[in-house]
Amino acid sequence: MSVPARPRQRRSAQKAGSSSAVFPTVLVVTAAGAGAAVGLAPEGARPWVAGTAIAAWACVAAVVAFTSARLRQAQRRTVSRTGELEMTKNNWMQHGAETDQLVNVTLPAIAKQLKGGTGTDEVLSALPTPSDPYLRRMLHVFTTEVAEAVRRTADAQSDLDMMRRELAQGTKELERLTNDTLPAAVSLLREGSSADTVLAKLDWPANPLLRSPAESFIRELAYSERRSAAAQAASAKALSRVQAKTVGMLADLRDMQDRHGGEIFGDLLRLDHSTSQLGLMTDRLALLMGGRSSRVWNKPIVMESILRGSVGRIAAYRRVRLHNSSKAAIAGFAAEGVMHLLAELMDNAANFSPPIDEVHVYVEERSAGLVITIEDSGLKMSDASMRRAEESVSGRITDLASLQGTRLGLSVVGRLAAKHGISVNYRPSSRGGTGVVVLLPPQLMAQQREPVTPERPRLSTDAPATTTASTAPSTVEETFPEQSLGITPTDEAFLADMPRRGTPATPNGLPVRAPGHTMAEAERGRPKTATPPSEAEQSGTGPARDAGSRFGAFHRGRQAGGTLGGSPAPSGEDAEHQTGPATDD
Amino acid sequence: MSRKPVDIGDPDRLYTVTGGRSEADDAFDLVTLIVSECEPTAGMQSEHTRILELCRHPTALVEVSAELKLPITVVRILLGDLHAMGKVSARHPRAAESVATLPETALLQEVLHGLRNL
Repeated sequence: MSVPARPRQRRSAQKAGSSSAVFPTVLVVTAAGAGAAVGLAPEGARPWVAGTAIAAWACVAAVVAFTSARLRQAQRRTVSRTGELEMTKNNWMQHGAETDQLVNVTLPAIAKQLKGGTGTDEVLSALPTPSDPYLRRMLHVFTTEVAEAVRRTADAQSDLDMMRRELAQGTKELERLTNDTLPAAVSLLREGSSADTVLAKLDWPANPLLRSPAESFIRELAYSERRSAAAQAASAKALSRVQAKTVGMLADLRDMQDRHGGEIFGDLLRLDHSTSQLGLMTDRLALLMGGRSSRVWNKPIVMESILRGSVGRIAAYRRVRLHNSSKAAIAGFAAEGVMHLLAELMDNAANFSPPIDEVHVYVEERSAGLVITIEDSGLKMSDASMRRAEESVSGRITDLASLQGTRLGLSVVGRLAAKHGISVNYRPSSRGGTGVVVLLPPQLMAQQREPVTPERPRLSTDAPATTTASTAPSTVEETFPEQSLGITPTDEAFLADMPRRGTPATPNGLPVRAPGHTMAEAERGRPKTATPPSEAEQSGTGPARDAGSRFGAFHRGRQAGGTLGGSPAPSGEDAEHQTGPATDD
Repeated sequence: MSRKPVDIGDPDRLYTVTGGRSEADDAFDLVTLIVSECEPTAGMQSEHTRILELCRHPTALVEVSAELKLPITVVRILLGDLHAMGKVSARHPRAAESVATLPETALLQEVLHGLRNL
C-alpha cells in the first residue's frame, strides 16, 4: 500500500532540506577548526599543519560538495516521484469516484429507467459516459442485460397475469358447475328429462376441460337413471302379473276350500298360507318398485278382518295373539295399505323374537285415531338398530339406494306410512322386547258408527225376533256407498236419506238402480220394504227367517260341504245368494 | 293391467279364522242342531259372535255354515271351540229307526225339484 509510505517520503524530504543547510555549517566549522589548529600549532609546524589543514579542509569540502550535489539530485528525483505519485493518486481517486458514481448512482438510475420502460440507447445517451473504457463496456453490458431481464420479467408477469385470470375464470366456472348446474341437472334427470334436454337447458361452462367431463357425466347419469327407471317399470309390470296370479290363486283356493273337506282342506289351508305369504312378498317388491298393491277393497274392512288379513300373510301367524275389541273399520282405499303395513311389522316382530314367544297385538281406540301396538318379547333392540328402524319407517327416505339387502319390509312400512299419514314409532316393550306403536289417523277410518246407531233401533223395532246379527260386516256393507261417494253422513242426513234408500223400486216391485249405486246396492236396499210381511210371518212362526231362506241355507251348506257329488246349477245358487242375505237385513 | 280394479270379498283367510287348525275335534254332524247357551261377549271372535246370535234358536250346522259363508270344516272347528267353552250345546239328531221309515230319495228329489221351480 502506498498510504503508509507517505510519511517516510516526507521525512526524507525534510532531512534533505535540513542537510542542505548543514553542509556550509560543516565547512565553516571545519575551516574554523583548521584555522584554530593552524593558530595553535607551533611555529615550526605551522606551515605543515596549515598545509595539512588546508588539504584536509579541501577534502572535506570536496566530500561535502559531492554529497550535497548528490543529495540535491536525489531531492530533485524525490520531488518528481512525489509529483508522479500525486498524479497517480489523483487519477486513482478520480477513477474511484467514477466507479463510486457508477455503482451508487448510474447503475440504479439505469435499472430504474429501464424498468420504467426507456430504451437502452436512450438510457445510455442520457447518462454521462465514464472515462474508463472498461467501465464503459461494463456499463453497456450491464444496461443490455438489465434491459433483457426487464423485458423477460415483463413477459413473465404478463404470462402470470393471464394464467391467473384463466385460473380465476376456471375456478368460477367450476364453482358454478358444482354448486348450481350439476345439482340442477341431476334433479332434472331424476324428474325424467333426457340428457339432451338437460344439456340444452342449462348453462354449461365454456372451458372444454370442464364441459366435456360434465357432459359425459350427465350422459352417464341419464343412462343409469333411464336404466333404473326401466328396470323399475319392468319389475313393477312383471310383479303386477304375479300379483294378479296370486290374487287369482287365493280366490281359487278359497273356492276349493268351500268344496273340499277333510285332509284336502288342511292341505288347501297350507297352500293358502303359502300363497298369502307369496302375496306379501310380491306386494312388498311391487310397492318398492313403484307398483301398486295387489288388491283394492271396495268396502270398509273391520279391524278384526284387517288384523287377520295382516297376520295371515306372515309365516309365524300362529305366534301372533290378537287382542281386539274394536268394531272400527278402515276405509276401503286404505285397508290394503294398513294390512300390508301391519303384516310387515308383525313379520318383523315375529322374526326378531324367539320362536317360542308370542307376539301380542293390541288395538285401542283413541281420539287421535286407532292405536295398534305390536309387542314382542325378543331381544331389546340396540339404540342404533332402533334408530335405523325408526328412520326406515319414517318414510323420509324413499330412495331405493337406501335399501339394505333383504330387509325391505321396513322401507315398505315407511312408504305406506307416509302415503296414508300413519305414524309408526318404536319403543322398548314392557314385555322385554320391542314395541311398535302404529297410529292410524281418523281419516283412514270408515265413519260407520253414525249410520249404525239410527239403523239398529229401526231393525229391532221392525223385527224384534230377528236373529240376524246386525254385526259390523253387514252394516259396513250398508255404509259403503256413502264412503265411496266421499260423503260422511251425519245422523240427520242419514235418517233423511233412509226412506229414499228404502224404496228404490217400481210400483210393481221391480228394482230401480239409483244413479251412482250398483245394482247389488239397489238390490240390498229394496227388500227392506218387503220386511214387514215376512216379519209378521216370523212373529207367528217363531223362527227368525222364513222357511225358504232356511232351506236355501241348508242346501247351500250341503253343497259347500262337498257332500253332494253333482255340481248344482249355478244360476239357482246365485239366486239364493241374492235372496238369502238380502232378506236378513 | 289385467287385474280387477277392486276386490270384493274379505281379506281374512280361513286359517286365520281357525287359528291354523284344519281338523275339527268334535264330530258334529251336518244336521246337528246347535243352540247358544249364552250371549256373545265383547272381544270375542266375530264368527263366534255370529254363531251365538244365529243359534239363539236351534240351528243346523249346515245352516250355520251357509249363513256364515264358511266351509263346514271351519264351522265345525269354531263350534268345537264354543262347545269346549260351554257356550253352545249340540243336539244330535236321533238316528232313524230304519232306512225304510225315511222318505224315498226319488221323492226328496222331486220335492227339491219342485222347490227350485218355485
